[in-house]
Amino acid sequence: MYLMADFREQSKLEAAILALKAAGIDADDMDVFSEEPVEFHRGILDRPSRMSLVAVLGAIASGGLATAGVYAAQHNYRLVTGGMPVFSFWGTGVITYETTMLGSVLATFGWFLWESGLLRKRDKSIPVPTVLPGVMCLRVHCSDPHVTRARQILDSAGATDIARKEVA
Amino acid sequence: MEHRWGMSIDLDRCTGCEACVVACHAENNLPVSSPDQAEKGRTAHWIRVDRYYEGEFPDVKVKYRPVLCQQCDNAPCEPVCPTYATYHNTEGLNVQVYNRCVGTFYCANNCPYTVRFFNWFAPEWPEPLQLQHNPDVAIRPAGVMEKCTFCVQRIQRGKRDAAVENRPLADGEIQPACVQSCPAEAMAFGDLNDPESKVSKLAGSGRATPLLGELGTKPKVFYLERAK
Amino acid sequence: MAASAGLLPYAKIREDLFRPLSKGSPRYWITICAAMSVIILGMAAWGIQVRDGMGVTGLNRPVFWGFYIVDFVFWIGISHAGTLISAILRLTDAAWRKPVTRAAEAITVFCLMIGGMFPIIHLGRSWLFYWLIPYPNPRLLWPNFRSPLLWDLVAILTYVTGSVIYLYLPLIPDMAQLAEHNVPWRRKLYRILSLGWTGSDREWHALERAMKLMACIILAVAISVHTVVSWDFAMSIAPMWHSTIFGPYFVVGAIFSGIAALLLVMGTLRRALGLELYLTKHHFNNLSKLLLLMSLLWFYFTFAEYQTVWYGNEPSEMAVFASKIRGPYAPFFWTMVFCNFVVPFILLGIRKLRTINTAMIASVCVLIGMWLERYLIVAPTLGNPRMNAASGVYVPTWIEFAITAATFAGMLVLYLLFAKLFPMIAVWEFKAHPVEEN
Repeated sequence: MYLMADFREQSKLEAAILALKAAGIDADDMDVFSEEPVEFHRGILDRPSRMSLVAVLGAIASGGLATAGVYAAQHNYRLVTGGMPVFSFWGTGVITYETTMLGSVLATFGWFLWESGLLRKRDKSIPVPTVLPGVMCLRVHCSDPHVTRARQILDSAGATDIARKEVA
Repeated sequence: MEHRWGMSIDLDRCTGCEACVVACHAENNLPVSSPDQAEKGRTAHWIRVDRYYEGEFPDVKVKYRPVLCQQCDNAPCEPVCPTYATYHNTEGLNVQVYNRCVGTFYCANNCPYTVRFFNWFAPEWPEPLQLQHNPDVAIRPAGVMEKCTFCVQRIQRGKRDAAVENRPLADGEIQPACVQSCPAEAMAFGDLNDPESKVSKLAGSGRATPLLGELGTKPKVFYLERAK
Repeated sequence: MAASAGLLPYAKIREDLFRPLSKGSPRYWITICAAMSVIILGMAAWGIQVRDGMGVTGLNRPVFWGFYIVDFVFWIGISHAGTLISAILRLTDAAWRKPVTRAAEAITVFCLMIGGMFPIIHLGRSWLFYWLIPYPNPRLLWPNFRSPLLWDLVAILTYVTGSVIYLYLPLIPDMAQLAEHNVPWRRKLYRILSLGWTGSDREWHALERAMKLMACIILAVAISVHTVVSWDFAMSIAPMWHSTIFGPYFVVGAIFSGIAALLLVMGTLRRALGLELYLTKHHFNNLSKLLLLMSLLWFYFTFAEYQTVWYGNEPSEMAVFASKIRGPYAPFFWTMVFCNFVVPFILLGIRKLRTINTAMIASVCVLIGMWLERYLIVAPTLGNPRMNAASGVYVPTWIEFAITAATFAGMLVLYLLFAKLFPMIAVWEFKAHPVEEN
């Protein structure tokens, strides 16, 4: 069961979310849709993110792989040099640095696509509200015993247009 | 023991006649330029004779300095080529691989002696010079960098002949075209790893200085002149 | 005094920012046609160069690098506009950057695409450019990673990838909005590009986090990219190239020319798209002050470099120095100083003179000056080698002018097409924090 309620003021929305959480509905079951990002206060609808970690890991992997590749390529040639060494970090440092950055860029973008849910298979049956400008729509996924309580909370919080959608 | 080819040029003997320049052209299939290309600075002379004038007329002194690729042991042109079209071989030569060159010009910019030349157009020779080509030397296409090779084709032939006849190479047996043609016998070519060779002895004499030695390029062409 | 855009109704903002995406006016299409003809001329010129050889240019021995390398450094330099405005101002939370970000990021991407063509254009055997890319091949050959040109390749590839992603990320929410009301083929395009964006808070959170990370990363990349480009020169031993100042000098110069380009683009967009309420005097004032600051910084670096050379009095460096200050390159040198320092100092330093129009004039001067600066780095050094018997002068031909002009036209076309397909100001970002007064 999906309940969708429109709010026009952020304070009321936040109050509703806190009340719903107190009533036992998980934060993972709640989604807020809006045409612009809503800056929630701490503790209201925190979404833990691993993006920084993924970025760092991607960076290390990419940089390490590239440096190893360069090392192998340069030692593949049995060069005679009278001066500079065939491989040194002074020379390869730039490539190491740039590929590290490239790795973090790609990892960040890739993880963004995953974490935002844009790249995951969408469940078409879950309703997506059309959001009007200036409106924040709260979608709550709750099972039968909680539905009436949730409706009450949304009503008293001052939501407009509470819709109900059944999901097969 | 590997060879290590080097050259000495005696500036006190050089008369500036430029026979070396002509010989190099003939030996290495250098393209012939035209007057207006020459004005634009597009001529190729793997060895050139630079003239330095001192004093005012009538007390003018001229100094001649033949400049060719110095086959630097610490060549600035080598690390900067992105495709390894120029690299150092085991005999100490700085080798230019024509078919690997993509024409980035970086090697030429980094050479402090300005001894590298580019093929601005496909090479041409006025009749009948195209009949005079040396079959041992490749003709370079447009877009490729070239320079003096110490007549590597003559080095290869000399080594091959010695191997076929099962004897060691004699000093002075291999002579690049310029060395061979100098009427003043100002140039000598040989193995720097052989302490008895003429070049080694001259290079070790007090009269030898490398050109732009302070740059640390470790050139293998030694210029001999009376110490001031 | 115009009303602040933050007080305008949302519907009006949306209408104003989406209006340019409608059908193009005759003026628009004429401009595109004119630019395309310049581009075709440039392509013909390049075709002649590939067919006949590099001799059709003005390059010679010893000036082996000319217009193409100058253009390369110039365009890569301008690309730092987006990075500075977007990344630094995003990190410092400067709200005034909001209407300017997308225009700046678009400049970055297109300048990188154009600048990145020059390493191919300038090659003696351009069709073999792919030999610089490390790929397994039957000849068992790899490129030389010790060469600064390879560092260029990796750096620019990284920067392009990062910039495209950095431009695309904040575009996604706008794409979702645009997908709703438009012409059928556009709707399909926007829907694909919006990746099914629904506007949920998870998506917003992920987006904001990604943007913050990307801002830091892209800043680090941008500084390294132009440093690496400068090392094409600094890593050589040519007189007046082999200088440690080149790294920071080029980065400063890049940001300088980038801001000038951004000012110019913004001023044009403002008039052409009717965005007077969104790109206000306040924005131009701030950008002008930044431009002035960069001008002073540029002057400082230039002065330090030339003073050091002059005082050291080393013969091979002084030959280059003299050719710039007093010799054949003197007219270019003093024009450069005038355009880069004198003009911005007067027009932007004196508050009464600092208007939107004078800012545009100063920007054009700076762009000319910075192009000359790149030219003065390349040609005089190469023309005065250590063995001065090999000196030479560089006289460019119509081929090089044609190709250079074509890149400017190309930039214009790319930008015009972008402005027609995508809103130049991010609607969602603009609304989130109300714009301050002017």
